[in-house]
Amino acid sequence: MPSPFAFAKWEGVLLLAGFFGIVFWKLANGSIVLDQLFEGDIRDRDPKNVDGYSTYVSAGRVQSFLVTVFVALYYLLQVVQNPTEFPRLPAEMIAVLAGSHALYLGGKAQAMLIGPLRDFLR
Amino acid sequence: MRNIEFIISVVVTVGAAFVIAMWVPTPDHDPMKKVQLAIAYGMLVLIFLFGFLVLAAIASGKIDISQLLSEVGGGASMSRFQLLIFTFVIGLSFFLVVICECKFPEVPKEVLTLLGISASTYGVSKGIQAGSETKGKG
Repeated sequence: MPSPFAFAKWEGVLLLAGFFGIVFWKLANGSIVLDQLFEGDIRDRDPKNVDGYSTYVSAGRVQSFLVTVFVALYYLLQVVQNPTEFPRLPAEMIAVLAGSHALYLGGKAQAMLIGPLRDFLR
Repeated sequence: MRNIEFIISVVVTVGAAFVIAMWVPTPDHDPMKKVQLAIAYGMLVLIFLFGFLVLAAIASGKIDISQLLSEVGGGASMSRFQLLIFTFVIGLSFFLVVICECKFPEVPKEVLTLLGISASTYGVSKGIQAGSETKGKG
């Protein structure tokens, strides 16, 4: 009979692997929608756009995606190489991540909030 | 009975604890130790079955996660996506550290900062969307 710790360990492995597996499988087969991940809304006065916005490929989203994937992979590799403690992330990397997300949010705020604000003030 | 799986899980757990208490020998034949073992294994079986129920429901579509990354206006949300990625990474790291060290690890401030940035991005993104006229993409 395995010890309770070994039992708990394998239980955790099975449940976590199952959860990650299901989510990745659903991402891969399109059950979890990833359409328009890199697309944002921008104000467009073209009368064809009923709500006054059109869709465009957002550089802010692309760079945010790349930085996120890079930091996540870096962190995961550090843990896999030395799983005895949480790895220390360089402050520069955290600053880059924060800057990247700030850029994404700034772009989004500019696209969605500045136009209506200008209309309101006019 | 609506949650038949829940009832089955509890019955299996009680059964497992009973089998362990009755037939699994302990090294020093201490009855107290036997009770402790039965409760420990019973709880582990119960947690596993509850986890398995949730996984089975997600896999079969009974729990619908198709809109996990979607926003109200349609399309996937980058803020949700990055939160999902970092939650996975930190969760997996936590599990690896716990099984290697057999103790609750010390969580450094970098990890908290990482999760803070990620969750704040999601929160601010939701705020921007709520403050705008349109139900735009996340």
